Amino acid sequence: MPLPLPVPDPLPLPLPPGLFKALLVVTGMLHLLAVNLAVGGALVLSVHALRGRSSDREWVARLVPLLPPAITFAITLGVAPLLFLQLLYGDFFYTASVLMAAPWLAFIALLMLGYALVYRFVKGASIRGRSGLMGMLLLLGVGFLWVSVTTLSLRPDLWAAQAAAAPHGGWIRVVDASLWPRFLHMVTGFAAVAGLLLALWGGWRGHGEARRAGLHWFAWATLSQLLWGGWLLMAQPRPLMKRLMHIETMEGFTLWISVAAGLAAAHFALKARKGEASLKGLWLPFALGLLSVLGMIWNRDQLRDMALEALGFRSCALPHATDGLSFVIFLITVAAVALLIGVMVRWIRSHANEVAP
Amino acid sequence: MNHPVWDLPGLGSGWIIGIISIIHVSIAHLVVGVGAWLAVMESRSREGGPDMALWIQGRAKALLWLSGIFGAGTGVGIWLSIGLVNPTATQHLIRAFVMAWAIEWALFAGEMATLVGLAYFYHRLKPNQRAVLAWSYALCAWLSLVVINGIITFMLTPGTWPTTHRMWDGFWNATYLPSLLLRTGIALVLGGLWGLAVSAKIPSTLRDRALRPASLFVLAGLVVAAFSAWFYFHELSSATQVALVDALKLAMGDFRGFLIGLGMVLGLAVVAFWGVMSLALGALGWSVGIRKLAVVLGLMGLLFAALIYAFGGEAWRALQHFGAWLKGAGIPGLTHGFRWALMGLGAFLVPAGVALGTLLWPRFLTRFMATVALLLACWGFGGFEWIREVARKPYVIREVMYANGIRKDQVEAYQKGGFLAQNVWARTFAASKGDTDLAKGEALFRAQCLACHTRDGYRSLKRSTAKFAQEDAIAFVQLLRELDPEMNPYLDKMPPFAGTDEEAALAGKYLASLNGK
Repeated sequence: MPLPLPVPDPLPLPLPPGLFKALLVVTGMLHLLAVNLAVGGALVLSVHALRGRSSDREWVARLVPLLPPAITFAITLGVAPLLFLQLLYGDFFYTASVLMAAPWLAFIALLMLGYALVYRFVKGASIRGRSGLMGMLLLLGVGFLWVSVTTLSLRPDLWAAQAAAAPHGGWIRVVDASLWPRFLHMVTGFAAVAGLLLALWGGWRGHGEARRAGLHWFAWATLSQLLWGGWLLMAQPRPLMKRLMHIETMEGFTLWISVAAGLAAAHFALKARKGEASLKGLWLPFALGLLSVLGMIWNRDQLRDMALEALGFRSCALPHATDGLSFVIFLITVAAVALLIGVMVRWIRSHANEVAP
Repeated sequence: MNHPVWDLPGLGSGWIIGIISIIHVSIAHLVVGVGAWLAVMESRSREGGPDMALWIQGRAKALLWLSGIFGAGTGVGIWLSIGLVNPTATQHLIRAFVMAWAIEWALFAGEMATLVGLAYFYHRLKPNQRAVLAWSYALCAWLSLVVINGIITFMLTPGTWPTTHRMWDGFWNATYLPSLLLRTGIALVLGGLWGLAVSAKIPSTLRDRALRPASLFVLAGLVVAAFSAWFYFHELSSATQVALVDALKLAMGDFRGFLIGLGMVLGLAVVAFWGVMSLALGALGWSVGIRKLAVVLGLMGLLFAALIYAFGGEAWRALQHFGAWLKGAGIPGLTHGFRWALMGLGAFLVPAGVALGTLLWPRFLTRFMATVALLLACWGFGGFEWIREVARKPYVIREVMYANGIRKDQVEAYQKGGFLAQNVWARTFAASKGDTDLAKGEALFRAQCLACHTRDGYRSLKRSTAKFAQEDAIAFVQLLRELDPEMNPYLDKMPPFAGTDEEAALAGKYLASLNGK
């Protein structure tokens, strides 16, 4: 029986698909950076809160209130890539989500409950480590559902079996080999990025303990990616893995540059651990770490396109009929909102010394 | 349906959208109104001193909590649920309106950023900067409504879009303006009621400053909403108007008997609810004024005792009548829905009374009263949204796509060439069950009926076809194939059956099998 691929919608896109692809990648990167900060931050801070060392207490209490707005930004920035993903890859995304409808819908409950628990993480002077930990676990549950749907969306050969095994969309019955390594790769990435940002904050605020702890998290989480990342690479279908293994392909180049940047960043982070409580020594691991994260996010997108190309689908080949007016209004709106945010940040910074966060 | 179907037994998948969207739409409109109210309060804060500034910052934090957790969470929930329940329609809408949604997203980002700025950095901002940010928040929130309203109204009145396929032709449609006015009015009502609820317990110096604009918001919003509802109705097609009026008349039933019964039940419900809630809140340690409560409960009890003594048997008969009215024996399920929606619209009288009462006698307002009024207004708004959804039936995008995700222009091809032959997911389902006649019939049922019906739960087809023999069920589905309204009386309520005559027979056989025939 041929693969159950839905018939494409006949309406053309209002702009060239390449432009939507660029919007998807850029907004997706912004969203994932915010998610790294929010969920990774909840992970790192709840571990330190529960460990209960007096030297950690002060910086944990100062940083926990930043988590709810970070989640707010993660959600806000997540709406745009969700929109563009549905536009370009709707047939795959919808099919996979309907096939595991019930757990997929739990996404909303986990998100709201996780957010509310992280909100309760700190109140006044008291830190509720368990609340933070539970909130973080629920938010990781959201991540797991996301990884499950996107993994299933790339495997139309599994769809019929999943539909027959769960006719009411009850649970994920058919699991792709790359599901668990993808999830672990993602979670460790959250911890690494949050650690790096914690180190930067510690350096900026002259907080030696926070700086050291952040570098520690970043370096070890990044090094552990050799395990999860290697497993993920091995779990790819053979032709995809071969392309990723060769540095002369675009996808392979992105992957190995990101791996090299990550390893170099971990090396410099370990070296910087013994440095003074300032930003000195942090910029190099930060720049390399950021390069690695952005490269990996892009690589993930390339991996999706490779998998779908093997099925004969190319998002860049979708038909379009340009509607320039709506794009201009979109650009004006984005510029106006960016200006508003810029002015607001300037006002806040101009009184920065009055109240420290 | 071009995609697989989410077969949710009992409740039906459509209710998932309903439940999430009632919450989301209420919060989304609420935050528009609260944004404007907060901006007004911020502009008046210089006269209120530091206490008022501190209080406004607290309200901004509460708004962020409501908007950030529940508003944004259920907003994502709507995206996910519409993608699950009707992925084909969602994809079509996104293709048509992706740039409108992108613009709305940018405004939403502005909304959240300014709210975070106000909530977290309030004391780093000068008073005029706070006012600018508060008004910017309100503007971004309202503009996002301005954008999303175009898509919602397009689904009911798509204008010339079906022929031109140009986004702006669908966006600026006949019901755009009345709907925008109506939603703005509702947003003012909800925002004002929220303002009343959060201001009810604050010190009297601030209280009067906060209550007056909030009451005016509610009253102005109700006037705008009432006017624009009339305007909205007149912009609908005459066929939709007639169908709505007929449905409303049927739903009203014996209205006098209903009103007497409703009055009694609501009266008793208010007493019971007030009593239980007050005791519960008291148990949680919240001050509710036990003495005041006892006096009010006692007076209301006496009043009810007097009424029952005076009217005796008639009161009992009215209650029985009300029960029968609610149960609605022998009336279609849709009429039940209209009754609930109508009661919701009637419930708007409570917020009107509360706002007017607060304007005249501000000290009598309690937080509980304002909260009940807010919940009733949400119910009323839900009633309006429900009527709007029904007015769209049998389409999800009027004149373009039926509720089951089949486009109007696809029906003929499916009726000639067969649905199973052209729909990969119906074929996949039938194959998974052995490709028997019943399996094929069930595949057709899932793809074409499940969007609105269930087997034996909400809008049960087992119940509706209980009296049908197998040949009746087959004849019924074959009748639904007819595209001529003279031949098919269901055409204005249900999508036509999109399949061959043989496929109609398979679907009919499956329907009959639900009752073991």
